Amino acid sequence: MEYLVHLAVVFAIYAILAVSLQLIVGFTGLISLAHAAFYGVGAYSVALILENTGFGFFPALVLGILMSAIAAFLIGIVLSKFRDDYYALGSLGFTVIVFSIFLNWQELTRGPLGIPGINRPELFGFVFSENIVYLGLALVLLGLCYVFSTFVTKSSFGRALQAIREDEVALSVFGYHTSWFKLAVFVMGAGMAAIAGGLFASYITFIDPSSFGVPESVFMLSVIILGGLGSLRGAVIGALVLVLLPEALRFVGFTPDIAAQMRQVIYGLMLVFLMLYRPQGLAGTYRL
Amino acid sequence: MWAVSLILGNMDIVPQLVVNSVIAGSLYALIAMSFNLVFGATRFFNLSHGVLGAVAAYTVFYVGITLKLPLVVAIIGGVVVGAAVGYGLERLIYRPLRKRGASSLVLLVASLGAFTAIEAVIAILFTSQFRTLSTLIGPTGSLNLGGGIMTYVQVAMFSSAVGVLILLWLLLSRTSFGRAVRAVSDDEEVAKIVGIDTNKIIGLIFIVGSAIAALAGIFAGIDTGIEPRMGFILLLKGVIAAIIGGMGSVYGGFLGAFILGFAENFGIWHISGEWKDAIAFVILLIFLLFRPQGILGKKRA
Repeated sequence: MEYLVHLAVVFAIYAILAVSLQLIVGFTGLISLAHAAFYGVGAYSVALILENTGFGFFPALVLGILMSAIAAFLIGIVLSKFRDDYYALGSLGFTVIVFSIFLNWQELTRGPLGIPGINRPELFGFVFSENIVYLGLALVLLGLCYVFSTFVTKSSFGRALQAIREDEVALSVFGYHTSWFKLAVFVMGAGMAAIAGGLFASYITFIDPSSFGVPESVFMLSVIILGGLGSLRGAVIGALVLVLLPEALRFVGFTPDIAAQMRQVIYGLMLVFLMLYRPQGLAGTYRL
Repeated sequence: MWAVSLILGNMDIVPQLVVNSVIAGSLYALIAMSFNLVFGATRFFNLSHGVLGAVAAYTVFYVGITLKLPLVVAIIGGVVVGAAVGYGLERLIYRPLRKRGASSLVLLVASLGAFTAIEAVIAILFTSQFRTLSTLIGPTGSLNLGGGIMTYVQVAMFSSAVGVLILLWLLLSRTSFGRAVRAVSDDEEVAKIVGIDTNKIIGLIFIVGSAIAALAGIFAGIDTGIEPRMGFILLLKGVIAAIIGGMGSVYGGFLGAFILGFAENFGIWHISGEWKDAIAFVILLIFLLFRPQGILGKKRA
């Protein structure tokens, strides 16, 4: 039972990441490989604020979202000038840079040693120490992100995003400053990724740079491509499948190290097969 | 004033910085030239290009250290396996996708998947541990170039980069295969119409390009060591060099590689070496913003 609850929490965290990445990739057509970086900024912000200040989890989470949004704004100013392959590559570059900051700014992040002993959230004296209670919190935050994202995609802003996806040049002819729209959706996505990061940090109670590198971005991309681009529901389904699927490996009896690598093999092959045979994913409305 | 003294106070390491820049540039040049060769013909960012270097380096490790066969056999084996895997990816993934008219983004994502899977397979077969290949060649001497030290392996690396540049130039400008490659790079459709078997040409490009990437991986492995992630690092530097030089331009790749090598090594003159990767990407962003077509590249339509 405890194991199922654990999987459910992990699922909720990845579902938040997938839904927020879906706004950027699936709705705006921008292949962002920078999501792991914002996930990391959220996690590190929450961990460091909890450790070094008197703030509780929720104020720390708000600050983490802000930090991530500011980082996304600065990165996005540059990134929004690109599209297609160059966007993918530029965003990959930012993940590498942010990762090397986590790893090398040792005075702040303790580098590869990571930050242990992160506290579980507390609200009016109530501590979310039980995993089942934590699951409730994670699901509530997932629900909020989902509703917010649905609202965004249904708004006129969201329709402009989808128009950028279909034909950015045409939209700019109509007088839209497309780079501002790309920047705005990027910042929103990064803010939500920070929520997932904060949840992750205080759930596992330990973070190190390895959770926020390029493979993590590849994983998130596999999740939404499997689920289907342009579908929020697909993002959640993708997260569910890809969090549960590799758990089967556990029962085959691989050592944890091999199992982790097997997961990478599965994600990688899955991307290849999806591109070859079903580029729209399970529930997708848009093809790359 | 203090800035001047800070720089002058460190002047004695300049020769070594120059040598290190040339060494790094040589390695990046092998990847960037071959990456651009493949990009020129296929027009997509092949993210699985660098991992072929890792495949080759681990083949050398297996043949030379596990099976204890002679070094020459190991190196030839590495190049052949690297080229074969590159060609296999083209036949199994990229050609079917091209046939279906897939966009360059689909190809990019597929190559991302291929690279992720291959890297993990290497880690499963050989563990993620850092290993060295230098025992294969034993202790070697080095050259002293005005205060900068360059080992013979590094001299060979530099010579190979220049050698590959010359060979590619001969191949592209003097042979009928080269003319066909240039035709495919200019416009695949037109090349097809005038009777060029474009799939065959692209297949050959993948073999040549992958073999060069394999060579780069083997050099990197002998010079520093091997780990499964090495392919990704090679790829990043190669792609950045390729963009700086001009996407699709083999000669631009060579030029961009040495610019990147110098920028990285002089960039860390006063700060810690771990920031090299970050510096490389800052340079990439500067180029993407102000000269996206690179130094020798043509403006994209």
